[in-house]
Amino acid sequence: MSKVVEISPTTRHEGHSKLVLKVNDDGIVERGDWLSITPVRGVEKLAIGKTMEQVPKIASRVCGICPIAHTLAGVEAMEASIGCEIPEDAKLLRYILQCANRMHSHALHNILSLPDMYIPGTDVKINPFTKEEPVRSVALRIQRLREIGQTIGEIVGGEAIHPSNPRVGGMYKNISPRAKAKIYDLAKESRVLAQEQMEFMIAVFRNYQKRDWAEVGGVEVPILKDLGYHNQGYMATAPMYGSSSLDENPTWFPERFTEVRPWDWYMGEVEIDEADPNYPIGGTTPVGNKAWPQMEACTGVPLYDGQPVEVGPRARLVQFKNYDEKGAIGLQIARQMEFPETAYGIIDAVDALDTSGSVLADDIPQGDGTLGWAANEAPRGTDVHLARVKDGRVQYYGMLVPTTWNFPTCSRALTGAPWRLAEVIMRAYDPCVSCATHMLVIDEDKRLVAQKLIQ
Amino acid sequence: MDVLGNYKSAISARSTDKDIQKKAQDGGIITTLFAYALEEGIIDGAIVAGPSDEPWRPEPTVATTKAELLAAAGTRYTISPNLYLIKEATRSYGLDRVGIVGVPCQIQAVRKAQLYPIGMRDVDDKIALALGIYCMENLSYQALEAIVEDHCNQKMESVKKMDIGKGKFTVYTERGAVSQMPLKLIHKYVQPGCHVCLDYVANLADISSGSVGSPDGWSTVFVRSMKGNEVWDGAMAAGLFETKPMDQVKPGLDLVKKLATEKITKNQKNVDARKTVGLKADGTPKGLRNPYESP
Repeated sequence: MSKVVEISPTTRHEGHSKLVLKVNDDGIVERGDWLSITPVRGVEKLAIGKTMEQVPKIASRVCGICPIAHTLAGVEAMEASIGCEIPEDAKLLRYILQCANRMHSHALHNILSLPDMYIPGTDVKINPFTKEEPVRSVALRIQRLREIGQTIGEIVGGEAIHPSNPRVGGMYKNISPRAKAKIYDLAKESRVLAQEQMEFMIAVFRNYQKRDWAEVGGVEVPILKDLGYHNQGYMATAPMYGSSSLDENPTWFPERFTEVRPWDWYMGEVEIDEADPNYPIGGTTPVGNKAWPQMEACTGVPLYDGQPVEVGPRARLVQFKNYDEKGAIGLQIARQMEFPETAYGIIDAVDALDTSGSVLADDIPQGDGTLGWAANEAPRGTDVHLARVKDGRVQYYGMLVPTTWNFPTCSRALTGAPWRLAEVIMRAYDPCVSCATHMLVIDEDKRLVAQKLIQ
Repeated sequence: MDVLGNYKSAISARSTDKDIQKKAQDGGIITTLFAYALEEGIIDGAIVAGPSDEPWRPEPTVATTKAELLAAAGTRYTISPNLYLIKEATRSYGLDRVGIVGVPCQIQAVRKAQLYPIGMRDVDDKIALALGIYCMENLSYQALEAIVEDHCNQKMESVKKMDIGKGKFTVYTERGAVSQMPLKLIHKYVQPGCHVCLDYVANLADISSGSVGSPDGWSTVFVRSMKGNEVWDGAMAAGLFETKPMDQVKPGLDLVKKLATEKITKNQKNVDARKTVGLKADGTPKGLRNPYESP
């Protein structure tokens, strides 16, 4: 007889989500539903009728962790719709921005996932805020990496959070030679730090993989070898930057994308009949409460070729670098393996950058209502924005963001894992829930009337 | 009320640099201090009122060399929105230590940005040197055009120097003409915002400077903060300034105090008058917000 456990809210990730898990007598998940319960942003609705310059700026406000990805995807969706090619130097600046954002975001995620892990060779859980070595110097290294990423983002983007410099048609400003030198110095410094950080994190994750058990809320939970395995496909558009409908060979295909409503995807109403008050951070939801995932989920369920797919670091590595490790830890390791490339990417791009080159297209068409899309490889996966621009105004705007893709995929990856480790699997996806939330319209009988905006 | 603000020392000074003297309005204090700070690495660049396409219209510029500073030397009696560049200087210009020069209200804005850096992320800690210049009131560019071209009858392009002193606005042209008009005729052109300003000598700057109180070609300098003191002492030790004590120069500190008091008393009246501007629905005065009082 299966029982239902609910972990709400889930912790140590961006946004507000919960896990509703059907578990068997051994505490193994038979069916897991991971769903977003973040309040709806409504950005896609706000965008309609606004000028094409305004909309990417509004879109970036959906969240503060990867605003750079949303700005770039938004700006490029506009450019794709109006058919505007931007100068090479503007592309390089955007590439630097992208690398800087990924460097900071991956480093930030390290802080979030470390507390699940153990200092290699011991049974001591890592507290990233302790003063004790070796954790202290790792925390400082993470902070420095984030500082470098954010500083470079600030120089190139005008602001590290919600960058002001990218605009439809290129960038507002090129950087000065002095700023170029500063970026180069910072990237050189981070290259070494990123390598060290990658090696340390991989050692920690490998050590976790080799352990027999992990302690969660005072219970020793077996770590299965296939923790977080799933059989879904992967979707990625580029190893680092992205793709758009302007590309000669686009790597994302809108016709392969479909979407179902959460009503048709998630579990119906269930009563919670198992709880653990000792589970970290306040225990799980007490017995007797009810959960209704198909009503509560605030996201659509996007499908690619009719199936949920995984996006993110592993998807990129699988598609472009022949990586093949499955499971939660495989995903974590893939993320660390992207670290050095962020620093190398900045160094290469800044080398190629001409600081006196023009960064704004000579001619910016105002659009004729063509559908354009741009996919940006945000730190946590493919972020696709779609837009129709006519006479400089946005007629339609859609955001297909990374974690929306990962919700159903990760839910499948939960099957077969001990429920106390479900959060460890979920955190491996580096979820960023707030941008994944979309508008639902519910009538008085709490029935889903329409779930529109993307389709 | 202390109209001159806090200061460690008040000195009458003049730059010893001949290039700067030639270009400067009075003593060349700001240009010399920035040149010294650039040389010493106290700042990486300074936001100054640089030249623009139109004659006598200043444009905020980031100067990173002495040549760029010299191009920006001298006073233009109109607004240069230097604060506009303060964020960009730390961004695409890549500066870590920014110097900025401004009139009192701009220095107030700098300090406010440092105290409460909303929208100024990572800017507040990068302001390394804030230099202030005395300001009685400011004019828009159109007002300056009207004064020079209509009142003084000179073409903007041919003007070599403008000066305010001894109750007169004076225009010197390239062909040697000198045209003057009484200052009181200028008042109608002054920006409305200037009528509620209670700061004459940039009380919040690290160092503030202006011609008032010192003889022609010299400037009165107030060294205010620890940082300002450090920079001033360094520049003095490097022999960049010749100085005279304030009590030995004519007209001396008394004139500065007199003008400051005049400005502040006059504007205080405007501030007070605004308390009763407008009416609420019940007939009681609504009043405009007093920027000098916390709500």
